[in-house]
Amino acid sequence: MNRRLTFAILLPLAAAALAWGQAAAPQAKPAALKKAAPAPAAEQATYVGSEVCGACHEDLAKAFLKSPHQAVETGDKHGGPAWTGKACESCHGPGSKHAESLSAADIRNPSKMEAAQTDLTCLTCHRNRPTQVGRLESSHARDAVACTSCHSIHAHGPNGLVARKPAEVNALCGSCHTDVMARFQLPFKHRVTENAMTCVDCHNPHGSLRPGQMQMVNANEPGCGKCHADKRGPFTFEHAPIREEGCEGCHEPHGSANAKMLVRQEVRLVCLECHANLPTPQPKVTANVFGVVPPAFHDLTSPRYRNCTVCHQKIHGSHIDRNLLR
Amino acid sequence: MKRLLPVLALACALPAFPQDAPRAPAPPVAASPAPAPAPAAAAPAASSVPSGEAVFTGFLDIGYRWVGTGGSFDTYRSVVNLGSGPKMLGTEFQIIDPKHRLFDRIEVRAYNWGDDPYSTFHLTAHKNKLYDFSADYRNIAYYSNLPAFADPLLQTTGVILNEQSLDTRQRLGSYQLTLVPESWIVPYLAYDHQSSTGNGVANFVSGDDEFPVGSIVTNSAENYRGGIRIERQRFHITLEQGGTTFRDNQQLGLASGKDYGNFLGSVLGQTLVLTGLSQDYRVRGDSIYSKGLLTASIASWFDLYGQFLYSQPQSSVFYQQADTGNQLLLSQVLFYSGEQSVISAVSTLPHTSGSLGGEFRPMRRIRIVPNWLTDRMHTNSSGTTAQQLIAAGTAPTAINSLLSNALVDNYSQFDVNVMVEVMPKLTLRGGYRYWWGNASNVILPLAELAGLEEGHIHRNVGLAGFTYRPSAKISVSADFEDGSSVGQYFRTSLYNYQKGRVRGRYQVTPSFSISANASVLNNQNPTTGISYDFLSHQESASFLYSPSGGKYWDIQGTYTRATLRSDIGYLNPAYETPLVSFYRDNSHVATALFEGNIPFRHGAPIKLSFGGSFYLSSGSNPTQFYQPVGRLSVPFNKALAWVSEWRYYGFDENFYGYQAFRAQTITTGVRLTR
Repeated sequence: MNRRLTFAILLPLAAAALAWGQAAAPQAKPAALKKAAPAPAAEQATYVGSEVCGACHEDLAKAFLKSPHQAVETGDKHGGPAWTGKACESCHGPGSKHAESLSAADIRNPSKMEAAQTDLTCLTCHRNRPTQVGRLESSHARDAVACTSCHSIHAHGPNGLVARKPAEVNALCGSCHTDVMARFQLPFKHRVTENAMTCVDCHNPHGSLRPGQMQMVNANEPGCGKCHADKRGPFTFEHAPIREEGCEGCHEPHGSANAKMLVRQEVRLVCLECHANLPTPQPKVTANVFGVVPPAFHDLTSPRYRNCTVCHQKIHGSHIDRNLLR
Repeated sequence: MKRLLPVLALACALPAFPQDAPRAPAPPVAASPAPAPAPAAAAPAASSVPSGEAVFTGFLDIGYRWVGTGGSFDTYRSVVNLGSGPKMLGTEFQIIDPKHRLFDRIEVRAYNWGDDPYSTFHLTAHKNKLYDFSADYRNIAYYSNLPAFADPLLQTTGVILNEQSLDTRQRLGSYQLTLVPESWIVPYLAYDHQSSTGNGVANFVSGDDEFPVGSIVTNSAENYRGGIRIERQRFHITLEQGGTTFRDNQQLGLASGKDYGNFLGSVLGQTLVLTGLSQDYRVRGDSIYSKGLLTASIASWFDLYGQFLYSQPQSSVFYQQADTGNQLLLSQVLFYSGEQSVISAVSTLPHTSGSLGGEFRPMRRIRIVPNWLTDRMHTNSSGTTAQQLIAAGTAPTAINSLLSNALVDNYSQFDVNVMVEVMPKLTLRGGYRYWWGNASNVILPLAELAGLEEGHIHRNVGLAGFTYRPSAKISVSADFEDGSSVGQYFRTSLYNYQKGRVRGRYQVTPSFSISANASVLNNQNPTTGISYDFLSHQESASFLYSPSGGKYWDIQGTYTRATLRSDIGYLNPAYETPLVSFYRDNSHVATALFEGNIPFRHGAPIKLSFGGSFYLSSGSNPTQFYQPVGRLSVPFNKALAWVSEWRYYGFDENFYGYQAFRAQTITTGVRLTR
């Protein structure tokens, strides 16, 4: 009986939600577009249809046939029938004034607008898509990197709005992140310059819950585990910093002059900076610092002890040994 | 011989190398209106695959690579690892079905096949309104055998043996099928596979010695997931359910001979030796996970974003070990000639993450973005050990134990950012972030001085930034955050820090652009007993000169300067003398590439490019790494071109001269185009 009652309540609610959801999004209304338009003349303009646009912008119209945005023109998605036959004006606003005057001032040009306004135009249709879920965590969105910085709206091809080939993806990211791309010229690095990997294999440019817009796998596990599954655990005996600080506590994933992309030139220094045998005198602070005790008694002058992972080889976590020896 | 000349000539051509980074793309530019009106064009076709396109188009690069090396071949393989031989250097093609039967369009690209260290394959298939399918496969070699790394015997015996070397192959596959992608409810299925196989050297650690032995690496993971996306105009929901399996069957073994390990002295007149070993890890794991994503446009001035993620991986192990020789259990001063161990353990890690936030736009020029996220994980595990030591003349010694481990890591973060468009070209951003968390770790029963480790962190962070775009040609943006913490988990964690970044771009002329960026991180922890002092900064500048849109030639370059300074103290564990771990790195990285097009027959130009990169560093690990490159492509006709590439690698480290290497690769082949 309770189950029936639950269904009786939930079903109409779900139906109402779906009906509400399909109502035009607030930003999708033409009025909203007008509001964002810079030129007052556009307020009086009316929609003329994509055919009129294509009469002058022939190349763009031709390329647009192969664009995923063609779905807007045909009314298959992204706004539904509201924009059928008016795909150009769905982004550029009503074009009658522009068609008469041929003046660039009489038409919206998202690529020349402020990033936030450009994004508003794109998000009118694309906000309610899974790619945008991490938007609030995205430094791209925070720093006003407009959608059009990476996506070429008029580009042709089935995947034409953004680079898909590894070399193109890496070049696109590297055109802004030049300092990061420089790290990949170091001897020990991930195979990005060889295009066996791309930046988006590890980073989600639309944002993610993890720092550095890192990709996640298996819902919420760090993206590194997709390739390095043997480091993923869970382990019977965990090495705490891997869970709490992440891989970058010991590794420099973009490239390093040190073997295995370590952050220090010798393994023992990576370890001893935390396992310092140096308790802090204040009890409260001592309790806050992990890994300081127990002290080790190894003689660092002996080559046997200069690379801690010679013995503590399961440094990422061990299934069987509390000291991570096997 | 004359008959062979065309073949040799063909072989001397070099393929185009799709693995090389192309010129950095210019930012997309929107079309400007045409100057004059024209009659209305015909109505666009409804299909996403216009008629008139070729059914099959693409190219194939095949060739041969010669590699010559000098210096340390092991280092060469650890860093570069390209080999000689015939190669399928790359192919990209698409197939279009004009009749739209099983597919509208298939696209394939594959690079570096023929025993190269990184082979990739990617396929996408699309049928309008019915499905999208993608398959991605990579086969990546991981060779790590640096003579100076993990080599305890080098100074005592002169033996060069990296006791942590690996020669493995990593295979990764990802496959996803999305059904009715244009509808408002979109189901999808996906499968991912990962495996790593190969061999290497690892240590068998026993008693008071460790013995380098052969290791067989074999592990694999499968991931199955499926879900639906409900995409309406006002909201979107994604629900996904998945599961993984994992297996790791690493084995270490010594079938015959004697292994004297890393301790070459004697203990109480006895020499430690390993004469036989069979060590077998048998790890199994699985996980279920769920994902729920939500976005909603509540009002024209308010959007809502949220996600809920949950996973519960667990693993179990059944470990067996048998070894013989003369070993020492130091704690009991017991020499034994044989050992048998069986260990079984289980662990589970429930992990919950979520976020909820919104974007408010109370006025056109103001955005307020509050956001909360949390992440909570808890590892719980236990293991039992049954160990038996066999010593001559005494009864076997049994050592049994039951251990458990609990690790907790919870953190949450709330931040709010306010973006204000103070002028049409200037946006200011300010905000505040509060980060708090707790963590604990304990292994029971406690041993020696180890106890419960527990910590709490509270961190306050101020956020600021701006974006200034005075014209379409100039843009500057900056970010800054200043954080102070109460408590830290690790001595090197962020504590009191400042982080900043500035980025600018200037289109000087239509054919010449420059960009620059700089970043800095300063982290200080003055707590007594820690005294951590860390400062790093990087400055980078790049340019692109492309006259006539790069029709005849263009050149681009980047220079990056990076410095890092880190000081933190520790006690020498053997003598308890205070020491400082100081790390210094001052590096220069430069890359440049010139590309020229020389007019040739059939309108297709000869393409010539040369450039490369160098890395020079001083400090704690002075290193030099040079990678010049030159390429030539000569077209014969529209379907055939000779392509060639020369590369040089030069690597040297001041403190490990015996790891230096130099290598040249010459690749030659043809590009077949249709």
